[in-house]
Amino acid sequence: MATTLAEATSLTSERRQLSAEVKQLLVDRLSLEVDPTMIGDDQPLFGRGLELDSIDTLELAMAVEDTFGIAITDDDTDSLLSLNRLVDHIQANRP
Amino acid sequence: MTTVAPATAKSSAVVAARGGGVMSADEIARLLPHRHPFFLLDRIISLEPGVKAEALKNVSVSDGVLAGHFPGRMIYPGVLQVECVAQLAAVIYGSAAAQSAIGETVADVANRVGYLAEIRQAKFLKPVIPGDQIVFRAQSGPRLGSLISVEGQASVGRDVVMTVRLVVTERDAEQ
Repeated sequence: MATTLAEATSLTSERRQLSAEVKQLLVDRLSLEVDPTMIGDDQPLFGRGLELDSIDTLELAMAVEDTFGIAITDDDTDSLLSLNRLVDHIQANRP
Repeated sequence: MTTVAPATAKSSAVVAARGGGVMSADEIARLLPHRHPFFLLDRIISLEPGVKAEALKNVSVSDGVLAGHFPGRMIYPGVLQVECVAQLAAVIYGSAAAQSAIGETVADVANRVGYLAEIRQAKFLKPVIPGDQIVFRAQSGPRLGSLISVEGQASVGRDVVMTVRLVVTERDAEQ
């Protein structure tokens, strides 16, 4: 099915807004000393990216569940690898 | 002639029931690897395996830690209250493991106890002193892999004396 320019623009802006919300959530819930607007969409969350550690995964999963009502289980921990993947997971599971 | 029953798990369950509890100290010791001076819970008074539990702890001058914390001003340490919640969390998941293995809430599952991984937002609202009876409440929250989130609270009488959020880990018995 073809997507009109207007639809594509609206989807992009929705995605951008969701990404911004998730960045703000990351900073707030994990007490990061980072400006949320400086977090890149493809930035890895762990290791050399935002330097989160394995224990932060649980807090992040709880934050996503509290805010968006979407669970992250042992089967979809890949969605915590980067901000884009996390936003994909939220978009795919939104009611 | 009366016969004396051997000290079995069954008879200690009777002792716990007589005290109005659901698990005696001897039974808790089967779920936890901790021993004196770091075995801290006296009795479990309510338990929903895998979900939540309540425990009693009596604070007594005979507890050696009070000799040093502090001479002339004995206060039960806040860090040990946090440890009590961590041990209660181990009772919650240990009893769930025991239940799924043998259908009872007590079994020798102390090797499942992992680590205290995170302490978040611990608040100590009121000092706890000798003679106080602390009621600890812990509720298990979401888990991811071996990580388990836990919300804990301690109260003395009507006063909440401590609140905390923890992350603890559970090990597979084979690990």
